[in-house]
Amino acid sequence: MKSPKGKRRYTVIGVLLTALMLFPVYWMINVSITPQQDMRKTPPDLLPLHPTFEGYRAVLDDQMPYLGTSLLIGLGTVALTLVLAAPAGFALAKLRPLGGGALGLTLLVAQMIPGIVMAMGFYGIFLDLDLLNSWWGLIVADSTIAVPFGVMIFTAFMSGIPGELISAARIDGAGTWRTFRSVVLPVSRNAVVTVSLFSFLWAWSDFVFANTLDGGGSWRPITLGIYKYIGNNNQEWNAIMATAVVASIPAAVLLVLAQRYVAAGVTAGAVKD
Amino acid sequence: MTIARVDRRSQRSPARSGATGTGQRTDASDLRRRQRRSSRLTALAFIAPLVVYLAAFYLYPLYRNLDLSLRDYTVRSFVQGDAPFSGLDNFRTVLDDPTFGPAMRHTVIFTFASIAFQYVAGLALAVFFNRHFRLAGTLRALFLIPWLLPLIVSASTWSWMFNSESGVINYALHLVGVSPVDWLNSPDWALTSVVIANIWIGIPFNLVILYSGLQNIPGELYEAASLDGAGAWQQFRRITFPLLRPVSAITLLLGLVYTLKVFDLIWIMTKGGPGDGSSTLATWSYQLGFGTLLPKFGPGAAVGNILILIALVFGLLYIRVQRRQEA
Amino acid sequence: MRNTRRTLLTAIAAVGALTSVAACGGGSDSSASGSGKSGGTYNFWDPYPQFDASSAWGKLVTKCGTDAGAKVKRTSMDTTDLGNKALLAAQQGNAPDVMLVDNPVVSTLVEAGILNKTSDLGLDTASIQKNILGAGTIDNASYGVPIGANTLALYYNKKILSAAHVDPASVKDWNSLTAALKKVKAAGKKGITFSAINTEEGSFQFLPWFWGAGGDLTKLNSAKGVAALSLWKQWVDGGYAPKDVLQNTQTTSWQEFATGDYAFSENGTWQLGNADKAGFPYGVISIPGQNGGSAPVPTGGEFVTVPVQKDSSRYDVSKKIVTCLTNSANLLATDTTLTYVAPTAQVQAQQVKQNPELKPWVGAVAAARGRTSGGLGTKYPTISQPLWTAVQNALSGGKSPQAALDAAQTAASKG
Repeated sequence: MKSPKGKRRYTVIGVLLTALMLFPVYWMINVSITPQQDMRKTPPDLLPLHPTFEGYRAVLDDQMPYLGTSLLIGLGTVALTLVLAAPAGFALAKLRPLGGGALGLTLLVAQMIPGIVMAMGFYGIFLDLDLLNSWWGLIVADSTIAVPFGVMIFTAFMSGIPGELISAARIDGAGTWRTFRSVVLPVSRNAVVTVSLFSFLWAWSDFVFANTLDGGGSWRPITLGIYKYIGNNNQEWNAIMATAVVASIPAAVLLVLAQRYVAAGVTAGAVKD
Repeated sequence: MTIARVDRRSQRSPARSGATGTGQRTDASDLRRRQRRSSRLTALAFIAPLVVYLAAFYLYPLYRNLDLSLRDYTVRSFVQGDAPFSGLDNFRTVLDDPTFGPAMRHTVIFTFASIAFQYVAGLALAVFFNRHFRLAGTLRALFLIPWLLPLIVSASTWSWMFNSESGVINYALHLVGVSPVDWLNSPDWALTSVVIANIWIGIPFNLVILYSGLQNIPGELYEAASLDGAGAWQQFRRITFPLLRPVSAITLLLGLVYTLKVFDLIWIMTKGGPGDGSSTLATWSYQLGFGTLLPKFGPGAAVGNILILIALVFGLLYIRVQRRQEA
Repeated sequence: MRNTRRTLLTAIAAVGALTSVAACGGGSDSSASGSGKSGGTYNFWDPYPQFDASSAWGKLVTKCGTDAGAKVKRTSMDTTDLGNKALLAAQQGNAPDVMLVDNPVVSTLVEAGILNKTSDLGLDTASIQKNILGAGTIDNASYGVPIGANTLALYYNKKILSAAHVDPASVKDWNSLTAALKKVKAAGKKGITFSAINTEEGSFQFLPWFWGAGGDLTKLNSAKGVAALSLWKQWVDGGYAPKDVLQNTQTTSWQEFATGDYAFSENGTWQLGNADKAGFPYGVISIPGQNGGSAPVPTGGEFVTVPVQKDSSRYDVSKKIVTCLTNSANLLATDTTLTYVAPTAQVQAQQVKQNPELKPWVGAVAAARGRTSGGLGTKYPTISQPLWTAVQNALSGGKSPQAALDAAQTAASKG
């Protein structure tokens, strides 16, 4: 039993640690409201003394469509990743298909390929399939970052599901797909949220694929929108940082909402001891 | 459970099985074989989309990269497509290059230092947040913010903070009386700077996975331990850490694979400089292929393949260790 | 059994759905892009992402397209990206119809065989200044039309120099420049800022000093090259130049100068607009040679090129677009926006009439050298990279200037 004072101590330490961790983020916000001529001031201003909001004005004028596209691509990647990874994770964990071990190794190797190698390979494939410069093509490309990892997470979590749960469903006459859909998935909510979180964040911050495969499209994600401020001979840093701040807000909101689910246990109340 | 089902089925059709015992046994094994085949087909059906996906989207880039490294590509033959086969020449060029030694060394230091600190910090924070104090959930979510930021922004922010003239880190050092450090300009500190930035970016990943792993450890174990008089550190060493081993193993392995690939961060902060001061295999591979006015795709792809090979070695090691643990 | 078959069918359906989404999605997109795949849309690439469709440049591109009877799809990207993307696109037969590239990239693209000669297209380059055209000329054939040129000079802060009792006219050679920097430092201000980053920008900024000592790019480690590198090292070690020149791009170097703490900044024509906004009185002098006179400076600026297409009937429209973009009236407008010097004498005169501050720059551009000229062509990239690496090694203290340039020469001769 911890006294309230003890718990408060933890909160204070927690806040201090978080503040330390987020200091660079604070700095980013600081730069986003610094006027151009103070950018390289020595020593730097710890607090923005002459704030300018021209960066944010530029962002609100230019970047909203990019943010919308990023959101679309992020959610699409989550959907595609879940559709591909969850059944496969279930199979590797519980159904023991032939070549399961080899598949595990392949998934590991798939994650070792550097992004630029993948992007160069995709360029040709996408050109032939006419997927270049399209946002749905980018969903497919971004999912390649998340799917192998997703399968590994699902396999790990689903192997922890007690066999009794599945056998209970089988006895009730359910087929494998029904078992998967009605019994395994709900109980794997933890894993679903984790994989969704990762795939959304990876798709949100992807640059290599967006740059190579959607560089000329009319629907481009925010990582390319930022480059609008990196011209041939000038870089508008306050606008760039302002874009990053604005881009982080919806994702941060999603994070705070989702983390509640990542904490839940696997077999909460499903099987009585 | 399965046996009960088989009994039930064979009970349903006594007529077919006939009067003899052998007939019944043949029936049971037939049924089992049919069930095994159907379950194998089901399993196949579940993983078929994934296999097709993997073959389509990973095999081709890998093949392209292999092809690039085994042929003598000039800029012209890259575009026109008629490069002669050159065997292992590109690999030999890469191994002879004076940049190879430093790049290799830096890759090792960068990877192991990053993973070690990221893991320890992530684990410490996960255990800390597991105490369920007020605001724990929100603070934990806030810790993930570094992950949300586009890498160009995080990397640029760190490189501004590390700037030797107008950076806030040197300013803070100045306030405590330490002379300014050439974080990004000196060959001694450049690697350290990118490692620090990489650790910062990698902590959220470790935190999330290790924290999820902690949730799977039943609270009763801790209660029982504290009833037996075990302190916090003993509980960690005897309960938390051992039970967390499979999750730790996968976190470390994935951390290794992802850190080996890291290139954006270093490229934006120092471009591998000064000179070769912070070049790793990943940045060098990019430099050869895209960081120069006259791309050398062959050597660039060769370095990329070396990187994949190194990651593969660790992957196989992990599987061997895992198999031995299961056995 | 029934369940297995159902599962199998669902799986096959899933795979089928995935491929059909890809195919269907692709189908509806085919009309909007792809050179040669549809008649009316021409692809245009440029390295000016800061100019969107509503900007003067964006509108000009659209207008030139409609005047030529075609719809132009413009894509802008970061300049370093553009060369790489061009190679990738050309490999897949997807090269744009008209492309603006930074001038040192032209030789690489020519080497790859993806650019058309201006003579083959019937483009007129007679009125263009020879040294500006030279950066895009390989083996006596020109492969693009310059949209404008820029080069480097020394901007100085008048207030700081007068407070330190330095007369800008006295800065005639390296010794007098270093003496001026010493006086500025003694007066409590900072000396000079430039860019020594490990990209082409770093080489670009080092070349006036290298050439000002009489250095030759085919012999990096000559005594003259070492003298130039030692000059920079002397400044950094002596505190006349900040240590972060090793990370500075030309933009961040300008931002340092714009804080008002620096006396000198080595920067380019395109900063003129920013200089007026700097908030302190400034002046411009040409970069001094080692023993007096003006140092030879490199030309910068983009070239309008026409990549090779499978369907040569597209060249008619591409040619019209290029001619439109590079006619005198449009050149004046574009070069004023970009703050570049126009490539023809006629438009230069008009520019100077509009903005007399451009006069010294016009003179500097006339005396400038192309980086890939002098027969270097595609050898230049293999020299430039070891050169910027040497500068980094020497200024960071990793190697002595002689050792750094020796290593660079070895790497450059390996090619």
